[in-house]
Amino acid sequence: MTTLMINGEKRKVNASPDTPLLYVLRGELNVMTPKFGCGLAQCGACSVLMDGEEIRSCIYPFASLVGKEITTVEGLPARWQKQKNLPDDSERLHPVQQAWVDEQVPQCGICQFGMMIKATELLESNPRPSDDDINTAMTSSGPSPHLCRCASYAAIKDGIHRAADIIATESKTSNLKQAVSHE
Amino acid sequence: MSELQQKDDMDKIKVSPTDMNIHGAKLTRRGFLGGAGTLMVSLALNPTLSFAKTKSSGHSLNATLPASWIEIHADNSVVIRTGKCDFGQSSIYTAYRQIVAEELCIPVESITSVISGDTDRTPDGGGTFGLLRTNVLNLRKVAAYTREAVIALSAEKFGVKKEEVTIKNGVISAGTKKTSYGDVVSKQALSLDIPVSGELTEFRGLVVDGEPPLKAISEYSIVGKPVKNPIVRPKVSGETTWVGDVKVPGMLHARVIHPATLGSTLIEAGKVNKTKYPNTQVVVVKNLVAVVSSDEYEAVKAAREISSTTKWTQWEGLPTSEGLEEQLKTKEKWTDVPPIKSGATKGDVNAKSAKSLQHDYFVPFHKHAPIGPTVSLAEVKKGVITVHTHSQNPQYLRMAIAKMLGEKEDNVVIRTYAGPGHFGRSNGGNAGSEDEAAILAHTLKVPVRVQWMRHDDMQWSTQSSAMHSNIRIGLSDDGKIATYQAVHSGPPMQDDRPIGAILAGLDTISPPTPDNPFRVHNAGLFIADTWVYEQVENVAETGRGMFQIGQHESPIGVGLRDHSMRTPIQFQQNFPREAAMNEAAALVGKDALQFRMEHVKEPRFKAILETLRNESGWDTRPSPAKTAKSDGDQELRGRGVSIMLRDNGYWACASHITVNPSSGVVKVERITLVCDPGIVVNPLQLKRQAEAGCLMGVSQTLHEEVAFDKGKITSMDWFSYPILKMAEVPTVKVVIAPDKTAKIYGQGSESANALVASSIVGAFYDATGKPIRRIPLRPNYVKQALA
Repeated sequence: MTTLMINGEKRKVNASPDTPLLYVLRGELNVMTPKFGCGLAQCGACSVLMDGEEIRSCIYPFASLVGKEITTVEGLPARWQKQKNLPDDSERLHPVQQAWVDEQVPQCGICQFGMMIKATELLESNPRPSDDDINTAMTSSGPSPHLCRCASYAAIKDGIHRAADIIATESKTSNLKQAVSHE
Repeated sequence: MSELQQKDDMDKIKVSPTDMNIHGAKLTRRGFLGGAGTLMVSLALNPTLSFAKTKSSGHSLNATLPASWIEIHADNSVVIRTGKCDFGQSSIYTAYRQIVAEELCIPVESITSVISGDTDRTPDGGGTFGLLRTNVLNLRKVAAYTREAVIALSAEKFGVKKEEVTIKNGVISAGTKKTSYGDVVSKQALSLDIPVSGELTEFRGLVVDGEPPLKAISEYSIVGKPVKNPIVRPKVSGETTWVGDVKVPGMLHARVIHPATLGSTLIEAGKVNKTKYPNTQVVVVKNLVAVVSSDEYEAVKAAREISSTTKWTQWEGLPTSEGLEEQLKTKEKWTDVPPIKSGATKGDVNAKSAKSLQHDYFVPFHKHAPIGPTVSLAEVKKGVITVHTHSQNPQYLRMAIAKMLGEKEDNVVIRTYAGPGHFGRSNGGNAGSEDEAAILAHTLKVPVRVQWMRHDDMQWSTQSSAMHSNIRIGLSDDGKIATYQAVHSGPPMQDDRPIGAILAGLDTISPPTPDNPFRVHNAGLFIADTWVYEQVENVAETGRGMFQIGQHESPIGVGLRDHSMRTPIQFQQNFPREAAMNEAAALVGKDALQFRMEHVKEPRFKAILETLRNESGWDTRPSPAKTAKSDGDQELRGRGVSIMLRDNGYWACASHITVNPSSGVVKVERITLVCDPGIVVNPLQLKRQAEAGCLMGVSQTLHEEVAFDKGKITSMDWFSYPILKMAEVPTVKVVIAPDKTAKIYGQGSESANALVASSIVGAFYDATGKPIRRIPLRPNYVKQALA
């Protein structure tokens, strides 16, 4: 048996060690937002964060990820809460998720879990990305472009810019709160 | 409220009817004995009107489990039900709620729940297409009947005439007397028998009849608002159960080993290595070979291995994708299927003209290419087969599953879930995996989940038909079109046979034939691109159909199966027409936008063309551009225009592109879309749909072509079937400019999807001075066009 760190929790895994993380997440651990799209790392529907870096869970044997922090879309709100030291709030979404709602980004939505993971990776290193930064992140920074068949790409761009706005606003608020509490 | 609670409540109802006639629907009041009283208005279908004509009753709408279209609770919250599904358009969660709320005169937020697409929990059946064209009329009429019934009851309660009762924002009033929907019906259950026709499990499902008075459009206050889609939040937060997420105890995972070619039969299935794959077995039903395992990844690995040792006969019977255009142009005889002329055909197209052009155009096969390959789970319990899937036409799928297994439709239930958009592929029920799951569950007597792999979805699903078109345009001395002649030739629109049923040798409906009475399943090629240039006096448009390519030659009757996609057939026919219009304008030295303006009569077209001219920054001049040339490695700029009439909606598009002749790379820089779709139900959702639909069109124009050799489809993944990427996305400006007098709800994304290809090839000609008469604009085809 192996233990993985998924969304801040230790999870025991029984699968054979060559099993790709995607099948472990969905089949054994009931973490369902990473989706099966191609099984070839060609589309990005299965993306998760590994220590903050986007990987394609459909090709990574889970046994190679022991000791790594894995984050899926289910874990994004808690990740944000921890990063900003925010109080518990079960209704809170990560700024990227909130932006996706505000901008009505998804059409069918199947690719959006991977899109939101990639957007989170981008915004954590670059809180105010340009259109070119977004193009690079979504097209050429990973093993393949992140694909959306509904072609909701324009909405995804709007979503990322909106998320950057939310992050900037919330960061100001939380910095202010911290400053106040230090006084 | 659960179905069981409803049933309990209904059991307690003592029938003491005092019937009332509500515009042809029969209103029945019954004393309500006990119970929570939450089932307030039940709009049961009248058994004499519906079930007599409906083949199915078990696990469907019937007396013991009455399905309601609209369910109003004591707290005034409302549930609506539709047999249609959502594929990302959002219409059933946004526009449908707005339209029903409008008719009921209640706040849209009161409609807290939409139940959709489950055959045992929704009333009407039919396919998910034309949602705002015709389909929403069912719920809209039911809402109107309900409102009228409630007005009649309120009048009785208030002791006033019906005409004195008004409803605003959910408040029902007459003078100082006030009540609500909940109040009116809280002491009694109402059953309103509304007239319906059609058959539940047929392609178009049931239709609500009668003419209840509909709310005047001038009084609309909810339709037209940018209501957000309530399912976005549960989707992005991870709460939504997607089709691939459904699990049931004891289920097995299956991978199907599809035949080596589209005409192969099984010689011998490979064997399982039980040491390596202890939980795996191979199931063979004629030519359907599946690997099933309790462990999903074991099934994946075992299937890969067993696939390599499974032996199939070889077959060759396809013209190859490289030879397809020539096949359609010169080799097909076009004698099997009678040609079809369009309604626009008139005058004498052989009349002499000063100038003329005649060219061939070509659109290849396209894949629906959902990001998630088709997946379904089937289980058999107490003789009832339930298929958990993602379908645009669940009741028609129910028919197909029952037919395939030789079961009664009563014994089949289809449950639907959120899933990857596949743009029409399942509007005849199946997308690929449903029937295979049902066959395996039926055979093994355990629940079976069939997940197609990427290559299965590319190679074994249906595709959008290819088309060859010949367009001849004659022009008079004054630069006007004197004659227009189009001959469109290609395979049929739609084959709704489930593939697993074909492979297993089980019963299906027929593939497209020349004599099929149902147009969707007829092999004849109709003209789907509505004629718009009414100033032209001599017009002839002909569609020439054929059998599906390779189907007759294939020993298993498969071949290249066709299926409608997004803007079916109109995409394929608008492309050549509008591309030729661009060339005709250039031939007489006229601006392409102005040339269209001179040939339309409809003021709504003239209005959107004028708007397009302004909004796109159009420079009025003939093509090609002064900078045009066909060589060199500089990026050359050009712009093109196209128009379309679809679903009573008027659309125009301008594309600005660059072409690099030496690399053959075409980039789309910006697109301006102007639409007058009719009544805009939800501008926010329409904008997002149009924007994405248009970008999918850019994807088809730049990249997409199904590759196949003599036996099989060779597009297997996202490298061999590339689609648009983020870095290639142009700026898209959507301008919604509805005609204020429109009486019909505007549809969304289809026209936006289909228009863009012809505007891009117009821009290509403008940039280079050379026409390109086929898509996609991949570098190899671009270089050929420029040579």
